[in-house]
Amino acid sequence: MADNGRKAETVTLTMDGQEVTVPRGTSLLHAAESIGTEVPHYCYHPGLSAPAQCRICLVEVEGAPKLQPSCVTMAAEGQVVHTDSPAAKRMRQGVLEFYLVNHPLDCPICDMSGECMLQDYVFDEGREKGRGREPKRVFGRDDFGGDVLYYGDRCVMCTRCVRFMDEVARDSRLTVVERGSRAVIDTFFDRGLEGASFAGNVVDICPVGALVSKDFLHKARAWDLDHTPSICPNCSHGCNIELHTRDNLVQRLKPRENQEVNGHWMCDYGRANYEWMNRPGRLEAPAVGRGSDRRAADWREALELLFASLSAAEGDVALVGSATCSNEALAGLVALGEEMSGGEAGRVFRSPRAADEVPLPGFPLLVRRRDLVPNSDGAELLGFERAGNDDGQGGLEHAAEHGGVVIVLGDELVDQGEEFGANASLFVYLGTFDTAAAANADFVLPITTFAEEEGSFVNAQGRVQRFQQGLRPPESARPAWLVLGALVAALRGEETPGSAPEAFARLADAHPAFEGLTWEAVGDRGAALIAEAVHG
Amino acid sequence: MAISVKVMRRPEAGRMSYMRATLKGMSLTFRHMVRPTKVTLEYPEEQPELSPRWRGTHRMEVHADGRPKCVACGLCPTVCPANCIRLVGGEDDQGNRYPIVYEIDEFRCIFCGMCQEVCPVEAIHVGQHFENAEYGRDRFVYDLDRLMEQDHPVTQLWDPSDPRSE
Repeated sequence: MADNGRKAETVTLTMDGQEVTVPRGTSLLHAAESIGTEVPHYCYHPGLSAPAQCRICLVEVEGAPKLQPSCVTMAAEGQVVHTDSPAAKRMRQGVLEFYLVNHPLDCPICDMSGECMLQDYVFDEGREKGRGREPKRVFGRDDFGGDVLYYGDRCVMCTRCVRFMDEVARDSRLTVVERGSRAVIDTFFDRGLEGASFAGNVVDICPVGALVSKDFLHKARAWDLDHTPSICPNCSHGCNIELHTRDNLVQRLKPRENQEVNGHWMCDYGRANYEWMNRPGRLEAPAVGRGSDRRAADWREALELLFASLSAAEGDVALVGSATCSNEALAGLVALGEEMSGGEAGRVFRSPRAADEVPLPGFPLLVRRRDLVPNSDGAELLGFERAGNDDGQGGLEHAAEHGGVVIVLGDELVDQGEEFGANASLFVYLGTFDTAAAANADFVLPITTFAEEEGSFVNAQGRVQRFQQGLRPPESARPAWLVLGALVAALRGEETPGSAPEAFARLADAHPAFEGLTWEAVGDRGAALIAEAVHG
Repeated sequence: MAISVKVMRRPEAGRMSYMRATLKGMSLTFRHMVRPTKVTLEYPEEQPELSPRWRGTHRMEVHADGRPKCVACGLCPTVCPANCIRLVGGEDDQGNRYPIVYEIDEFRCIFCGMCQEVCPVEAIHVGQHFENAEYGRDRFVYDLDRLMEQDHPVTQLWDPSDPRSE
């Protein structure tokens, strides 16, 4: 906002009797925000242009003949602004009443109910009872294609969705047709939003329940969902997201604002791919023994046996990592490999790759990357080499026939047969699902997915980003950093890392690329790695 | 503050008479013998008259075409203090939102009637009903079909002519 060459300049104004100093060029809406006052707004969205057409953000500016739209009125020196004066309140109440003239008030069946800005504002300052006597106009609903449904009756005509498609997606597929009370949002002919890569964002920015997700339709109420800050695991861009969970199941993914990474947006591919986090049939208890000798064990027994086997094991070590694992888990695997072989251990990972990247034209930082896994860059930084083809298959010939120690972390080995690891003197499989290729494993240890643990990923920009635990892991699955950390600690004779921050601290000590980073410094918004360590 | 104790003085032993109290009690007994006040009901032949505000097991109202009135808005499981309502919403073939699963655990229910009070479409009601005996515990989780089959009168949580009790 303050990039007009006069950056240092600030203005001081009086807002609701409170003096506030803001950079020149700040809108009154943001100035009010800085003192903790939220001015209602529909058409204004920080990621879009401000047409000042919803008329609900009007505030009283002393000296101005009429109320001013706070989203486009810039703060000026000495201004005296009232957001809560009787005139401003009366006006907001009036505007809200107009919005409700044709609004169906179908909150009980509306998916937006509970997070709807119309509901909030009317509850805060609207009239207690409606005065309308005329019948409301009825449009019904329209399938916009893709994942988007449009309920015209609920629409407040803020045109955020139209402007998102025009300005950010740069793919004009929505428009306003008709005028006055007959105005609706519509698509051009039958083209709709089908095939658009970022259209899901119009559901997020819709302030009311006019645009809803087909996938989420009637699935859960907004107030039942728990929100967990996380990182999108579906490509290596690592958009900041929230996991919305209920009953220990992920119900939907929503973008979390981070101007350095994804702005306010995320892509439809990432948004749609969450069902795998809820996949049932997980590995639930550690098991020891090959083939018919396989038996369940508790963690203490399994780790003690594994520790004894690792201490006695001979031969080279082959490590198969996975770019779906956190940095902490991969660093634990590297440390274990080093402890075992006294230096270099072969490290590979595989990653499915899309044919091309999908950028968001209006916000060029955001790109759906080729790597369809969250931590391929972290894996490469930690010394894992990319193997296999673009489907994430093949490339494990060495590990499959390796005669020494084979440790597989997180890779489900879907393309590998039962003969995988048959020659290995010791084969350890740490995974979330049992697989045919784990038949020869001496140890099968259940680990958690990223949604069930705390940790960090490195995204394609070379940015370390933390994610939090949103789901309860099944039975006795444990985070991989804890399992591997305990083994490394036992081999080295030191303390087991007790938490993800501790595991991260050890990772930062051991790997120069992460040097100087702390868990706190990474924070909720991530932190860039030092540039020269990041390749590509 | 210490509790103040008032010492009651008993009348002296020779000056006490229970005659008056005994006669008073006996007169009541004889009065009832001549003109009895009936309290006991010949249940189940005779049924008690329940208050209009009696809150018993639930009943789901239905539309004329047999569909439940419930729109699966999720307010009753939200407001329920005993957490006894399980609801999974969905869409029927006509595009209406309806409950795919609607279960009330009548054992957990505390019959507060808040589900009825909160319902925006007057679908779920507590009822004027008390005969709930079953042969198994599992029968006390009432599913949607059972709630729709219930035919006892529903509770009137407030007087419609004076909804605010004024």
